[in-house]
Amino acid sequence: MQTLTIDPAVEQFLAQFRPGSANGHAAPWQEAGRQALLKQPFPTRKTEAWKYTDLKPLLKRSYRLSAALPAADPVAWAIPGLDADRLVFLNGRYAPALSDLSRNGAVLEISSLADLAGPLAEQVGELAAPDADLFAALNAAYAQEGICIRLAPGKAAPAPLHLLYLTVPDGTELLAQTRNLILLERSADLKIVESQHTAGEGSSLRNVVTEIHVGENAGLEYIRLQQESERAVQIDRTEIRIAADARCSVFTFTLGGELVRSSLTMRLAGPNAEAHLLGTYVLSGYQQADHFTQVHHIAPHCFSNELYKGILDGKSTGVFSGRIHVYPDAQKTNAYQSNRNVLLSDTANIFTRPQLEIYADDVKCSHGATSGRLDEQALFYLRARGIPAHEARLMLLESFAGEVSSRISIEPLRAHLEAILAARLASLRSRA
Amino acid sequence: MLHIQNLHASVEGKHILKGLNLEVGPGEVHAIMGPNGSGKSTLASVLAGKEDYEIHEGSVSFQGKDLLGLGPEERAGEGLFLAFQYPVEIPGVSMTNFLRTSVNAVRQYRGQEPLNGAEFLKLMNEKKKLIELDANLTKRSVNEGFSGGEKKRNEIFQMAMLEPALCILDETDSGLDIDALRIVSEAVNKLRSPDRSFLVITHYQRLLTYIVPDVVHVLVEGRIVKSGGKELALELEEKGYDWIRETASV
Repeated sequence: MQTLTIDPAVEQFLAQFRPGSANGHAAPWQEAGRQALLKQPFPTRKTEAWKYTDLKPLLKRSYRLSAALPAADPVAWAIPGLDADRLVFLNGRYAPALSDLSRNGAVLEISSLADLAGPLAEQVGELAAPDADLFAALNAAYAQEGICIRLAPGKAAPAPLHLLYLTVPDGTELLAQTRNLILLERSADLKIVESQHTAGEGSSLRNVVTEIHVGENAGLEYIRLQQESERAVQIDRTEIRIAADARCSVFTFTLGGELVRSSLTMRLAGPNAEAHLLGTYVLSGYQQADHFTQVHHIAPHCFSNELYKGILDGKSTGVFSGRIHVYPDAQKTNAYQSNRNVLLSDTANIFTRPQLEIYADDVKCSHGATSGRLDEQALFYLRARGIPAHEARLMLLESFAGEVSSRISIEPLRAHLEAILAARLASLRSRA
Repeated sequence: MLHIQNLHASVEGKHILKGLNLEVGPGEVHAIMGPNGSGKSTLASVLAGKEDYEIHEGSVSFQGKDLLGLGPEERAGEGLFLAFQYPVEIPGVSMTNFLRTSVNAVRQYRGQEPLNGAEFLKLMNEKKKLIELDANLTKRSVNEGFSGGEKKRNEIFQMAMLEPALCILDETDSGLDIDALRIVSEAVNKLRSPDRSFLVITHYQRLLTYIVPDVVHVLVEGRIVKSGGKELALELEEKGYDWIRETASV
């Protein structure tokens, strides 16, 4: 058996992910994950996709899978005014007893990944390949839990679905792996809100993979809100396939976490498909957030729009990678990308990296990136109207961050996000 | 109400104001004219408290207070208002939110209770009517996508909202056609009162046929070289700034 993982520190790190009890039967994707693990090196700064994020500190920590599910009250994490169904993941595991599907039960089907059979089972690992990188392999091999959410053809979900990821480290160093598959059948319509929280003290590492198929003429709005503690590490991989005439918007709000790697891939697989990748990150202290995005224009006549905005304070580090790949057949592609950053301190860092690979000749593509300070002219204008400097700065920061949140279609969620953003921005030390 | 004595200021190491003296009394309208580069806009920026400027010498007192020791927001609180030559576009900040924050910040500075939502809307509608501001402009982001005329009228509207004691108009006429100029001037004239003074900074005499000044000053190379009545503006228009340069250098 060949293996690259000869470094004992890496070997020890990987061992933490193996479940205690031997898992008898392995699904094909689990088996593929285990095989991939033998060949995947631990990513270093020399690995192109991880150039600006150093994972080595993780090797010094000892994480543990949680043995039993802790007690938790999901109501505490409900979004005010949002009438939504709720699926709770506690320490990475789906908690049916805390979940509520009463609004969408008639059209939504939830099943365990372990119970999938036939063509559905074959879709696991199709978008997020087990050998994509070490964390994809770890997730495929040893994910503790996974569910499949399926929305029937032609159905619009009556209410949004709130995916609540709650981590309760209980003073330990907790490890959690979740893997979900979301299927929107032809002409189905769904709105998902995903919020991620830490309850209590302790550190955590979550390695999550989400695969989403947006069927023909279907529509998905997916809003993700990272609000974990400053001791939480998150490695997220979300891969989405958008079929002909379908629309998909993914919002990523990264406000919490110690180290967040958010890898998002959108594949425009049929003509007239539409993708929106929208993000806002607000980082302070020693926070690190690495947004690694890819848009694959496979089919012609598709549209993609990407806008990520960052506010960085303290000694935080932000990374934005945006790759647009236009395939030879993808004529009449429209692809836009923009990454804009405001640096509030001299010690904050932003690395922004647009990559365009265009193999079709009749396309419209643009990209742009900016990093700078708050607009001094605007600041003076506000102050000249009597608004104190600290309040003026906050107004400008809120308007900067608000460009993304204003595009959320779910009213109570938009209001909730604006309040959270305002509170987060008000907490930044360098704003005054 | 405004006393400027021997004011020297520079920006980016360049000495621009070189011993400027000016006295403006309550309710008076003073015009400051001068060729490009004479220091007109620098004077406006220094009075409003822009931080890029360095003051070397001199003093400015406004209603008995040392203006130069105050931040821009405190100057606004004291009743100084600058109508910008180039109003700044602020995407994402709504006019209504901006105005309410501004009005209440100034009220707080002056020790007044903040206006509630209904009181604020009433005030805003009153002033909109007075200035004849397009009702839709307050629904947009601050100055974003406004035409040149709309931006300048918006400045006068803000002036009306904040009820200042001293209004500085920094080249409010620049870039306006004759219709827009007339509308903006009429709005300014509506705000004239015995306890409100104006400092009208302009390159052209044209504005002063609409906003008639009590005193006209000519600024050349950072100093006021000549002062007179409103007829001085007409004389300047006729003879040009070279005439003043020659007269002043004698």
